[in-house]
Amino acid sequence: MGKAERGALAQGLVRCHACGHLAKLRRARHCPVCGGALHARRPHSLQHTLALLISSYALYIPANIFPIMTVNQFGVIERHTIIGGIFALVEKDMAPIAALVFIASIMVPLLKLLGLSALLLNVRLRWQRHPQWWMRMYRLIVFVGRWSMLDIFMISILVAVVDLSGGVSQVIAGPAATAFAAVVVLTMLAAKSLDPRLIWDKQNKL
Amino acid sequence: MTHPPDACPECDLLLRPSRPIVGEKIVCPRCGYLLHSPREQSVERVLALSVAGLILAGPANFLPLIGITFLGNSHEGTLWAGTAGLFAEGFWLVAALVFLSSIFVPLLNISLAFLISLHLHFNRPHHLLAHWMRWLQHLEEWAMLEVYMLGIIVACVKLSDTADVQLGFGLYAFVALLLVNVMLTGSLDGYLFWQRIAELRRKLHGQG
Repeated sequence: MGKAERGALAQGLVRCHACGHLAKLRRARHCPVCGGALHARRPHSLQHTLALLISSYALYIPANIFPIMTVNQFGVIERHTIIGGIFALVEKDMAPIAALVFIASIMVPLLKLLGLSALLLNVRLRWQRHPQWWMRMYRLIVFVGRWSMLDIFMISILVAVVDLSGGVSQVIAGPAATAFAAVVVLTMLAAKSLDPRLIWDKQNKL
Repeated sequence: MTHPPDACPECDLLLRPSRPIVGEKIVCPRCGYLLHSPREQSVERVLALSVAGLILAGPANFLPLIGITFLGNSHEGTLWAGTAGLFAEGFWLVAALVFLSSIFVPLLNISLAFLISLHLHFNRPHHLLAHWMRWLQHLEEWAMLEVYMLGIIVACVKLSDTADVQLGFGLYAFVALLLVNVMLTGSLDGYLFWQRIAELRRKLHGQG
């Protein structure tokens, strides 16, 4: 088993990130098959992920305390935060939809922030245990990332549809929308810049 | 034809070259990554689906998705108006993101898939083929039509409380576009595409 389990890099081979061609390390800077840039691992993977993650943590605060949406009905202005919108849905007996929004807007971003932090620590400190388990978490984070955009898309539809003449009814986005959208994008980029092969590298003590 | 050695893209395990037959799936024995899942007539399917997607993009973007009637007033919203509305309210960053993930990137992906599969189907080499394919791989996760669909459903439920909601023709086109996009992603056999691109690249350089 021992030899068969070795990584390509340990054998002096680099896999092209785009087309999958295996090239000899330091032989070329560009893939001979597709012309893409060759890197043994994503350059500065941990630094990029950490920087994006810190920005996401910072933006997560305004995203949750400021209103994400303002509803103007007959001149009565109602401001909703993310949590407030979920409570409003619960009060209207729309618990399943409230649960959906809760998962997409509260749980998923939190899971991404904490999960990516744990992954960073894992890779940095070379915890030598259960790479399969960490890999599963990495894949879950990559998979769920985009679904946090739910709230932003919902607001975009409401803005388009609820625009009734004479100030009868109107929906305006709130300052938290920008912060929340930034959290979603930055955490997606953070997950993308984390090279999952680093989780396995420590197994070979590279 | 012999296959070159392979490595898992997510855990870097060196693998013996293998090319399963259509319907088989090969996963990485160490991390479980799906390495190969060849599809029947992958190039032709991608070509057909991308043509369908290009046709559907117009109505999906500009015909009303949903409309509401409230106290005798009615108003309809399109995909495009969602972006334009956010922009008009001064949320240009959010507007740009919604525009990219719901309109521009899906359309760009379908166009790239069309260009690539067209060239592969007719065996026409092009010096940008590898670039297009790389872009397609990078942009895939930024097309979020299915998330937008869920957003439409949540918005409908929220609105149904106070107003009458009507489904527009654009919504049917949007759902069809979403399905085409999902099927396109599923039919695209990356391994086969890269192999064909490499063959055409050799042809191009051999002639030149």
